[in-house]
Amino acid sequence: MEMAEWRQTILFKLQNRNRKETYCFQDLIAQHNKVFESANALRNENLHLSIQNEKLRVEGGGGSNSIAETRLSEEVQNLKQKLLSQTEELAELHKRKGENAQQIIDLNVKLQERDKMMSTKDVTIAESQSKIASLDAEVGMLTHANKELKHLNDVLRDEYQALQLAFNVLEEKLRKVQDENRQLVDRLIKYKAKDADRMNEENDNFLNDGSKPFTSKLSTFGIFRKRHAKMQKEIEEACRDTRGVGSDDYQEGYGPISQSTLPTKVHVKFDGHEGEVNAVKWSPVDRIVVTGGADRKVKLWDVSKGTQENKAILVGSNAGVMAVDFDTSGSLILGASNDYATRVWTVSDQRLRIGKEMEYVLTIADFCFVTDLH
Amino acid sequence: MANDREILREVWEGKLPVCFKLHPDEVVELQQPDPFYLMVPRLSYFPLVTDKVKKHFLKYVSNDKQDHEMWLEYNGQPMKWHFPIGVLYDFLVEGETETLPWIVMVHFDKFPETQIYRFSNKEMVESYFMACLKEADVLKHRGQIAANMQKKDHNQLWLGLQNDKFDQFWAVNRKLMEVSGESEHFKYIPFRCYLEDGYKQKLVRPVTDEGKRKTLQDLLKEMFPEKTMVNVKIHGMTPPLDTPLQWMSEHLSYPDNFLHLCIF
Repeated sequence: MEMAEWRQTILFKLQNRNRKETYCFQDLIAQHNKVFESANALRNENLHLSIQNEKLRVEGGGGSNSIAETRLSEEVQNLKQKLLSQTEELAELHKRKGENAQQIIDLNVKLQERDKMMSTKDVTIAESQSKIASLDAEVGMLTHANKELKHLNDVLRDEYQALQLAFNVLEEKLRKVQDENRQLVDRLIKYKAKDADRMNEENDNFLNDGSKPFTSKLSTFGIFRKRHAKMQKEIEEACRDTRGVGSDDYQEGYGPISQSTLPTKVHVKFDGHEGEVNAVKWSPVDRIVVTGGADRKVKLWDVSKGTQENKAILVGSNAGVMAVDFDTSGSLILGASNDYATRVWTVSDQRLRIGKEMEYVLTIADFCFVTDLH
Repeated sequence: MANDREILREVWEGKLPVCFKLHPDEVVELQQPDPFYLMVPRLSYFPLVTDKVKKHFLKYVSNDKQDHEMWLEYNGQPMKWHFPIGVLYDFLVEGETETLPWIVMVHFDKFPETQIYRFSNKEMVESYFMACLKEADVLKHRGQIAANMQKKDHNQLWLGLQNDKFDQFWAVNRKLMEVSGESEHFKYIPFRCYLEDGYKQKLVRPVTDEGKRKTLQDLLKEMFPEKTMVNVKIHGMTPPLDTPLQWMSEHLSYPDNFLHLCIF
């Protein structure tokens, strides 16, 4: 066998080792241990015996009966042995008690850890609960708000429907009005056409009537003939009118005394307002003119001396003054302006007396004093 | 297969005579205690054999130190209880003139927390032993055999070691020493090389890539490529360098299935 050599070496070495280390000492130590133990035991016994001896000596004064003595000593020995075993047991129990105490300490530590954990858990639970409560409140608030919004939404929808209905009705009305308007416009056009026809007819007639004496002279004028003829006719009519009025009206006792003539010359010219002048009126009593302008002012002018003289500026209007008028006594001035209001001033102290907004001013130019305010 | 019972028996039989002495500083009695002599198996651990020693010396130390853990010291160095006794002896005593019995100092006070672990009971030693055993099995068989063992088998291993019962221990341990499947060797050899500053471990296969058996010399070359001369000691003897690794692992391993090699 090829492994034999090293195996043999190892076996030899091991045997050698055991011989040297083990077998030399084994018996010796076993013997020593035995002697050691017996010495220990003897020492113990010796101790016991000496104690016993001591005891017996104490008791020994009256001890005469050797048989009873030996029995007693046996008993004492038995009891001692019992005591010894008891003390051993006690030691064992003490040991176990120590272990148990350690265990209790460990468990207590564990318990404390658990308690700590529990308390942290409690805290987190409380936090969570408070959070839940707040969230609940929030949810309640939100549902409430939601309900309100729903209600509002319903109301708005109802309103919208009502308005839709109203709108439909109004639209219907508008359509009707538009139809009517169209009819009216049609009719107006028709009338206009009729008017134009009639006018043409009249012109033709006139031309036919009046053209005879002029035909030879004006025949060359072509296009201007009609206009000329019209002018001629107007002039003739004017001449005739003058005569007619002069004769008839004078005899009746009213109407202008002087002859009415067209004004040919500007007497006074002045810039009264900044912007347009919308209205001018004479005072019925004095030689005073009242003007209303787009600069929201009403002005009084004295023109008795042949020149203008600003007598007063009446303010208070919030928009351009569109119309002015005096009352019959000439002491009050009424002004109407584009701010839907009419105002009354007194001439004597130039103060605003009455200002009243009027809801419906359809045509401001058409208004005047109806009655004396006094 | 570990079938060389002659060798196994000789390894198992190895015992050391130890003389326990209580350190003089800790004696409170007037009378110095007698030293306590004991034969301790090389394969065992100190916490398993020192119950009597503790009981003997407890009488002589002060009461407040009686609950302290006992610890052992040799030549000023605290002994690591989690190494097998044989390893401690080979490692600590070698180099000096070895004189038997081995004199060990017993201490109850000033436990050297920084140098050795505390051990509160034998269960701790057992769990350390089982952990080593499983580690070795992982190296040898990828941990399949130890994992498939029942609690009963683990107990038998431990009790066999604790009570010095060769047959009881090897009935279970031989399963761990079997080669699994069709391969003829372990995956890796579980071993530890003890040096001045602790131990060294490495993955070493029992055969070379070509399938040749590796010997102890190959292992030492792999571990210490820079050293030419390495002295190895295991079980108190120097094995021949041409010993095959596989055979060594099967026969010369300690009960925790590791080869504990002391290197000088």
